[in-house]
Amino acid sequence: MTANSPQLWEKVIDKVRTWARLNSIWAVHFNSGSCNGCDIEILATLTPRYDVERLGIKLHGSPRHADVLIVTGPVTRQARERLIRTYEQMPEPKFVVSVGSCSISGGVFEGCYNVGGSVDEVIPVDVYIPGCPPRPEAIIDGIIQLLADLQGGKPRPVVRPNVAAELPS
Amino acid sequence: MNTLASFFTILIYPAGLTLILFGMFYEWIDRKLVARFQNRAGPRWFQPFADAVKLLAKEQIQPGIVNPYLFFALPIVAIAGASTAALYVPLMGFTPPSSFSGDLIVTLYLLSLPTMCVGLAGWNTSSRFSLIGATRALTQLFAYEAPFMLALLGPALVAGSWQIGEINEYAQTRWLILSQPIGFIVALIGLMGKLELPPFDAPEAETEIVAGALTEYSGRGLMMFKIGKSIELVVGLTLVSAFYLGGLSGIGSFLLKSVALLFLMSVMQTLFTRFRIDQTVGLWWRFGAILVLAQIVVIILWKGYMP
Ligand code: SF4
Repeated sequence: MTANSPQLWEKVIDKVRTWARLNSIWAVHFNSGSCNGCDIEILATLTPRYDVERLGIKLHGSPRHADVLIVTGPVTRQARERLIRTYEQMPEPKFVVSVGSCSISGGVFEGCYNVGGSVDEVIPVDVYIPGCPPRPEAIIDGIIQLLADLQGGKPRPVVRPNVAAELPS
Repeated sequence: MNTLASFFTILIYPAGLTLILFGMFYEWIDRKLVARFQNRAGPRWFQPFADAVKLLAKEQIQPGIVNPYLFFALPIVAIAGASTAALYVPLMGFTPPSSFSGDLIVTLYLLSLPTMCVGLAGWNTSSRFSLIGATRALTQLFAYEAPFMLALLGPALVAGSWQIGEINEYAQTRWLILSQPIGFIVALIGLMGKLELPPFDAPEAETEIVAGALTEYSGRGLMMFKIGKSIELVVGLTLVSAFYLGGLSGIGSFLLKSVALLFLMSVMQTLFTRFRIDQTVGLWWRFGAILVLAQIVVIILWKGYMP
């Protein structure tokens, strides 16, 4: 019993923690070189029409307060350092959602002289939301999938190796 | 036995757990009402609780440049100040657990402790955003503190006592909002300034200075500051409704009056846009303070002529 009860205790605490994480998602928004189309859709997601506060999602200004980093657009060489720095500033546990085709593959900006690659080549990405730009419904659905992953205890993603990222910026 | 009673007073009621739960409940009412006014569904009832638990479970990052003692002590002092203030107010309509002559002044000072802590925290973390936020928070403190205090002095003068419990009892027989409407309005708006609710949220204006003085705080520290603010909300609502809305005689009247006050506050939050910091200071000193002073002069004269 003495060996078992701490485990039960830990399990309960773990459940409460996961529950709180699922129900309170504070996001910070980072534009790493998008054409602004995706950003406008993210703003549309926050309007009263979609009202994400009912799901506990709030946009915060400071990466120190945030749980989820929403990245839009391909990572330009200039934004790469800043993206990494913003990611490092967030307290654990942190998650990354990449919004838009560009952030997944480089999209229409693929191969541009100033583009370093996709987001998952720089920081680990949890959820990809395709679309050019994705509709607010799709963005909300993406966040819900992130929640489902969290509940299922899916292993955390890793950074994809990339050649372009090694190039001098 | 006595220590047990004190522990109960500090941990469960009225400070500690009850206060924190009430703070979360009121925060939720406020957010929900504002959401409904904006034609949204609004947060679910457990939202503040989920936020608090989540922040508690998060990593707390300590910036390299800060003084670590101050960094960890300030949130604790903020929450302690706000909860100590709760000992002197008629929370839930019961007689205050601790009371002495002049506790009104002590309560008012304790209530401004969280703001001072936020200001110091912003100065301590010394990121540019938190510095601007701290400056604004302290400027605003100087703006609203005097009118707010004067507005609460009106009922004290009429009741002839500096003890919150006695003023509450005096106010139960008459609604002071009718005889001192200016004082009520100034106290209500002063409370909004104290809590940095919109339209007085320049110190934490998200669109300009990220998150103000608390930009660098994460996890536990941020949670404590937030809970301190919720407690301040409960205590402030209790004070104003006890003084102006006909006193608090029981749980029913406490809930009714403080929620009515909160309703008024959220209407004003929805109606007005954010003031610049100079507009806030101007509003308080040019209108608030002078109007309340005039009212206090009238009260003193009236008391002098009609003993
Ligand atoms: S996915 Fe489309 S809308 Fe989004 S950044 Fe790329 S080009 Fe713009």
